[in-house]
Amino acid sequence: MDIDQKFSPIRKGLLEFLVLKIVSGTTVYVADILKRLSGTEFATQEGTLYPLLSRLRREGLVDYEWQESGAGPPRKYYRLTAAGQSELAELDEYWARINKTVAALGI
Amino acid sequence: MQRVITVSLNGNAYQLEDDAYPALTTYLDESLRALAANPDQAEIMADLEQAIADKCARYLNPHKTVLARAEIDQVIAEMGPVADEASERAARATPGGSSPAAGEPTITGAAAPEAAPRRLYQISEGAIVSGVCNGIAAYFKVDVTLVRVIFVVLLFLTGGVVLLAYLVLMFVVPYASTSEEHAEARGLPFNARALVERAKQKYSEFRKGPDWQRSRAEWRKEWRRARAEWRLEWRRARAEWRAHRRYQRGPAPPFPPPPAGPVPAPVPYAAHIVTGTVLAVLGLVLALFTIGWLLALASLVMTGAVFGWPLPHDVPFWVAIVALIVLYNLVVWPIKAARRAAYYPGSAYHAPWIAAWDSIVGLAILAAVLWYAYGHVPEVRDFFDHLRHLWAHSFGATPLDSASRQL
Repeated sequence: MDIDQKFSPIRKGLLEFLVLKIVSGTTVYVADILKRLSGTEFATQEGTLYPLLSRLRREGLVDYEWQESGAGPPRKYYRLTAAGQSELAELDEYWARINKTVAALGI
Repeated sequence: MQRVITVSLNGNAYQLEDDAYPALTTYLDESLRALAANPDQAEIMADLEQAIADKCARYLNPHKTVLARAEIDQVIAEMGPVADEASERAARATPGGSSPAAGEPTITGAAAPEAAPRRLYQISEGAIVSGVCNGIAAYFKVDVTLVRVIFVVLLFLTGGVVLLAYLVLMFVVPYASTSEEHAEARGLPFNARALVERAKQKYSEFRKGPDWQRSRAEWRKEWRRARAEWRLEWRRARAEWRAHRRYQRGPAPPFPPPPAGPVPAPVPYAAHIVTGTVLAVLGLVLALFTIGWLLALASLVMTGAVFGWPLPHDVPFWVAIVALIVLYNLVVWPIKAARRAAYYPGSAYHAPWIAAWDSIVGLAILAAVLWYAYGHVPEVRDFFDHLRHLWAHSFGATPLDSASRQL
């Protein structure tokens, strides 16, 4: 089992956190998110991202609005809601704690 | 030239080549299934369709308006399988629920082999004659070389009956033309992830060692085994022959034990000649009947009529085929019986030689007829040259198609 596979559940769990982080900066659409993640360990695809975003929206963490694009049909631009902001702050804090623990246990 | 299918992706028309269509519908169907438990199913599907449309647009310009199969495959690979947590949870909640891998995000890159439907197809890639052996090998997941060796061995053991079976399969079994059908032929799940996984596996296999080297080693092994078998057979035959000579000449041989029944009378030499001639003539008659029958079958398959004689309206296609097969067997049976009877004048020891002679004559007749037909009958030449087209055109729209795929 290679390292990639060992960490796959962790990467899977972190994906939501990272998407919230990306969305928190500016309003983005799906291709932006994919581009930000591509080339990282968290590179993902539309097939995974659309269902995830739809769940985040159902949970009230993100919302989207339609914006005309220069070429082609209007796109969904996602942004973080107030609930999303506080959720992201909690996640950030938790992630910092995990990092500290990992660092403290190691050499 | 390809037929073009127009599809609407989230309200916009796109044109696909004929063979790209099933790949796309398969992907969308699987996405729909993956999102079955999702309250936002319709919205996500619309998003996915729009994303596919955007990716497709990349390949199109005023001078290229149709999407090819490879491009659709690329788009689907980029989209990745749809992973939905809601459906995933539902699948996990049911005890022994179908593989949770079906809903795992792509970043895991893990694919569980699912039980995929498998069907017998002919596979023309790498085929020697028509692809029947290739298809059978794929169906049973064995090396095609093995199937071919078994086929050749059976050819000798059954005196050519297997060849008939091959011809029947050649007509009845459809060709795998789309990648979906190719996947079915090999019993592999067909979806974007499986495709990617397979590509990865192929690549790692490729890196382990060149494919041709391994297959050459396999060929050598096969060849050695066949040679060993052949030597064994030859030695046995020689031992028997020697024992037979000893038995004829004089004192009781140690091997084989003399037959319990009455000793067969020595057969006069002339009887052998008569036997050989009778066999050859009967073989020729049999061959003529067989050729006539095959032509009748071919004309039935191609035109729906036997030599221009149309089928009655209430007789379905498959009944006509079965009737032809039964009729052929009824007509041929007395000839075969006569040929079998012709063996009798020879003693048991001569039977193998008579059989060998018979086979050679039979093969010679077959070869001569095929050669003559190929050279002089344009229809036969076309028939051989365009066998695949004939299949597609005559079977494409008949109800037999779906029935025969069950084979």
